[in-house]
Amino acid sequence: MFEKYLKLTAYDAVFLLEATGTSLWITLVSISIGTVIGVVMGILRNSRNKLVSAIPLIYIEPLRNSPLITQLFLVYYGLPVVSGIVLDSNTAAIITLSLNTGAFFSVLMHNSIKAIPGAQWEAGLALGHSRLSVFINFIVPQVMRLLVPQAITLYINQLQCSSFVSLIGLIDLTKAGNILNLRTMRPFLIWTIMFAIYFIISYPLSQLAKKLEQKVAFSY
Amino acid sequence: MPMIEVKNIRKSFGSNTVFDDFSVNFDQSGVTVILGPSGTGKSTLLRCINGLETIDAGDILVDSLSVKEKRNLREIRLACGMVFQQTTLFPHLDVLENLVISPVKIQKMDRKEAVDKARALLDKVGLGGREHSKHNELSGGEQQRIAIARAMMMNPRALLLDEITSALDPEMTAEVLRILEKLAGDGVVMLAVTHEISFAQRVADRVIFLEKGNLVADASVDDFFSGIKSNNERIARFLQNISQG
Ligand SMILES: Nc1ncnc2c1ncn2[C@@H]1O[C@H](COP(=O)(O)OP(=O)(O)OP(=O)(O)O)[C@@H](O)[C@H]1O
Ligand SMILES: [Mg+2]
Repeated sequence: MFEKYLKLTAYDAVFLLEATGTSLWITLVSISIGTVIGVVMGILRNSRNKLVSAIPLIYIEPLRNSPLITQLFLVYYGLPVVSGIVLDSNTAAIITLSLNTGAFFSVLMHNSIKAIPGAQWEAGLALGHSRLSVFINFIVPQVMRLLVPQAITLYINQLQCSSFVSLIGLIDLTKAGNILNLRTMRPFLIWTIMFAIYFIISYPLSQLAKKLEQKVAFSY
Repeated sequence: MPMIEVKNIRKSFGSNTVFDDFSVNFDQSGVTVILGPSGTGKSTLLRCINGLETIDAGDILVDSLSVKEKRNLREIRLACGMVFQQTTLFPHLDVLENLVISPVKIQKMDRKEAVDKARALLDKVGLGGREHSKHNELSGGEQQRIAIARAMMMNPRALLLDEITSALDPEMTAEVLRILEKLAGDGVVMLAVTHEISFAQRVADRVIFLEKGNLVADASVDDFFSGIKSNNERIARFLQNISQG
């Protein structure tokens, strides 16, 4: 008599689709915010002023050297205790993932700028460009070549890390898998489906990274 | 009045003092070849003149503008173009764009005008038809000729040349030097750090010899190669060394 209850239904498909939407939405919003943070922090890291270049480390290092899950719990469970601000799980997830992406992006940005030979700066300056003009016209295009593929790899990684938000009550893809698994008692089937969905989203992105890599490529 | 006045400059990197109370002038015309052993400050001198390095004391005036004033740097750099030893073409741009981008962005030159000018300059350096090559499709000598053309796009009155042929083989060196000779004929002022003695003898008007940040010799080419060479043992040995390669 439980036969029907153990089967996957059309309703489940919609449920999975919604959960996929949640995962994608949280990832997209937080990688967008994280990218903006990362660009700013990465540029500050390259400041010639030693103090200015060190300040972003206060933000970057703790986030790069602790598990995302701890950061998530700290924001969701810990922050309300000291601040009195109670965040819903959506907001907590986006804040945490954005900050986390930002920290990793800062490092990519910093390293990509640093990788451009100083001679490129000097050639631009010697032609009469301001530092800003050199940065925009000569450094940024060269930085993009290094940065874009690495950024996409980071984004794919963040999509996968977004599965942690299932642990603060969000019904993302992983949480949906959990729910269906408990109901249908078919772990192999359910987790294969979950695996496939993550893969189907990530794989084209990693291919896109390759394409973009070729598109922005030029050789030294 | 000289075009470039270097007045009692001091320049140190940490505890390494390259120049202390060093002065020299460069006229409104002519080619000056700068000679001297490695590490004596030849590159540093050129880089101080266009403000790529800051000076610790004294002053450098280009057309009476001090390099110490940040707001003068653009005008000074437009007056004194520079070509470096290592290739510095912008790798994400093709040859034509390398030439066109700066006058368009800095001097607000009309793009079409800039393209025409770039084509003319590429012809002049013997690379007409290579507009759309990328820098990695060019030999070292071709890259340096393009770097010269790129500098000339800004109509500089002077060129600062820092060993621009020292990474090239003799054949490519000859091509680059021919271009410089042409430009010198057009009246472009040149400050050239080079070990190419034959170029100095053929094209230069003046030779200065630097050693440990001091002006050991400063003479017309003829005087330098006839008299001073034999009177100064260190210079004689230096010239002998570089002529042996
Ligand atoms: N950016 C820098 N930082 C520290 N020291 C420097 C720097 N640039 C030059 N120096 C030092 O200043 C001195 C003069 O260097 P410079 O490059 O001007 O010599 P040079 O005459 O051009 O030598 P070479 O013939 O080898 O090119 C050297 O002792 C060099 O080590
Ligand atoms: Mg040098």
